Amino acid sequence: MSDLQIEVKNISFAYEKGREVLSGVSFTVAKGESVGLIGANGAGKSTLLKLLVGLNPGFSGEACLFGLPLEKQNLAEIRSRTGYVFQDSDSQLFLNTVYEDVAFAPRNYKMTEAETKERVLHALELTGIPHLSSRQIYKLSGGEKKLVSIATVLSMTPELILFDEPSIALDPKNRRNLIRILNSMDQTKVIASHDLDLILDTCGRTILLSDQTVVCDGRTEEILTDRGLLEAHGLELPLGLQRTAHRPE
Amino acid sequence: MGQTGKAVHEVHRLEQLAARDQWVNRIHPLVKFFLTVGYLAVTVSFPAYDLAGTAGMAVYPLALLILADLSFRDTGKRLRLVLPFVLLIGLGNLFFDRNLVQIGGFTIRAGVVSMAVLFVKGTLCVLASYLLIATTSMEKLCYAFGILHFPKAVITQFLLTWRYLTLLLEEVNRMTDAYALRAPGQKGIRMKAWGSLAGQLLLRSMDRADGVYESMLLRGYRGDYAYIRETAPLRGRDAAWLLFWGALFVLFRRFPVLYLAGAGIGGLLS
Repeated sequence: MSDLQIEVKNISFAYEKGREVLSGVSFTVAKGESVGLIGANGAGKSTLLKLLVGLNPGFSGEACLFGLPLEKQNLAEIRSRTGYVFQDSDSQLFLNTVYEDVAFAPRNYKMTEAETKERVLHALELTGIPHLSSRQIYKLSGGEKKLVSIATVLSMTPELILFDEPSIALDPKNRRNLIRILNSMDQTKVIASHDLDLILDTCGRTILLSDQTVVCDGRTEEILTDRGLLEAHGLELPLGLQRTAHRPE
Repeated sequence: MGQTGKAVHEVHRLEQLAARDQWVNRIHPLVKFFLTVGYLAVTVSFPAYDLAGTAGMAVYPLALLILADLSFRDTGKRLRLVLPFVLLIGLGNLFFDRNLVQIGGFTIRAGVVSMAVLFVKGTLCVLASYLLIATTSMEKLCYAFGILHFPKAVITQFLLTWRYLTLLLEEVNRMTDAYALRAPGQKGIRMKAWGSLAGQLLLRSMDRADGVYESMLLRGYRGDYAYIRETAPLRGRDAAWLLFWGALFVLFRRFPVLYLAGAGIGGLLS
């Protein structure tokens, strides 16, 4: 059996005819890898992630997750093994309390109430928010909502988790907490973000998307320290590295 | 906070009330549903001039308010939005019901009494429905509908509409706030802005609804709201609660309990 969890070959996709968002995208992700997906605004990061879970049908090329072709008949299995953390937590969370929202997936997968409870408590434990269990979602802060979003995905015990801009709108403390949680996860991760410092701290490998395609795929340290490459594709060195570069003697 | 902000807050507040761990909240949703339907039917069935009998039915919502530890003040505030409509419906009786009746030695128009009865009936019915929602979450209520074999599609529609209602209100709130901040001193929204605001609202709420639906799909949703599944069986105390109140409704309907109680107390005092 292949150790690859994502295999994408020559994928192209357009929302409108003649205006491609992705063109000839190819890459693979092996089990246990943590891969950063970077690119300027509008590079197609979110589109690619949504495509991988079947939310953007009508693409050309080949895509397989867990060895299963990304086709309608396999979507249920692919989705049951893949977690997706949305950019906007308000889209991800729609039930009244934290417990109910985290329990949504286990219940849909026909688990008993006892199993559901166990999964929910474990997911809340992993994200460090068991105290929020009975809280109403609309009363949570942005950082808390993000952690709950991650817990809703962890309760599915997925093998692969796709994160779409996970650090957006988080304050420094919550961001650090998020990085700690991301690093503690064993699952295969693909993190789409233009927060390059986050990618530097959490991903061993990085894929750079630009002009609708993959322009670079390699070790994170090499890509994120290449000022010329980043600037040529509308990005800048991670802030941490910029400060080091400009530190007075 | 604007009007829509208050509406959003109210919806969330109702959900918060329903999610509390009170004794009344823990009663089986099917029992509460049956009792509310029964209560509405009995209350509405009182004769048009039976003010004392109708008023006696207040015992159920009063008991629920106390047992569920709900604030009388907040409940009154919520009801005041509906009460003018209830009053309006009864107002016609003043003009059309011209008979005369004797009450306590006074002769008054029967229309006044029937209007008062209608007002009491309306208030009690609205109060009982509010108490059902305030002590039972929409999901639990839908679970009760599921037991009653309501069509799945109807139940799902009901739940999603409830969820999207909040979402729609939140979008309205954001847009009206954004408008107000850029139109200081202006009261309300200008007519010429209504068209584009309504269009934007439609697009934005559809976008958010799409996001929510995608999130549901990715977490195993297949058109069947598994969320309403509940394993809690009907317990003895649920049955006792149903029987107790069911019997009391019949008692209040068949006998003038308040009148008899008043006469009894009067007899004791004399």
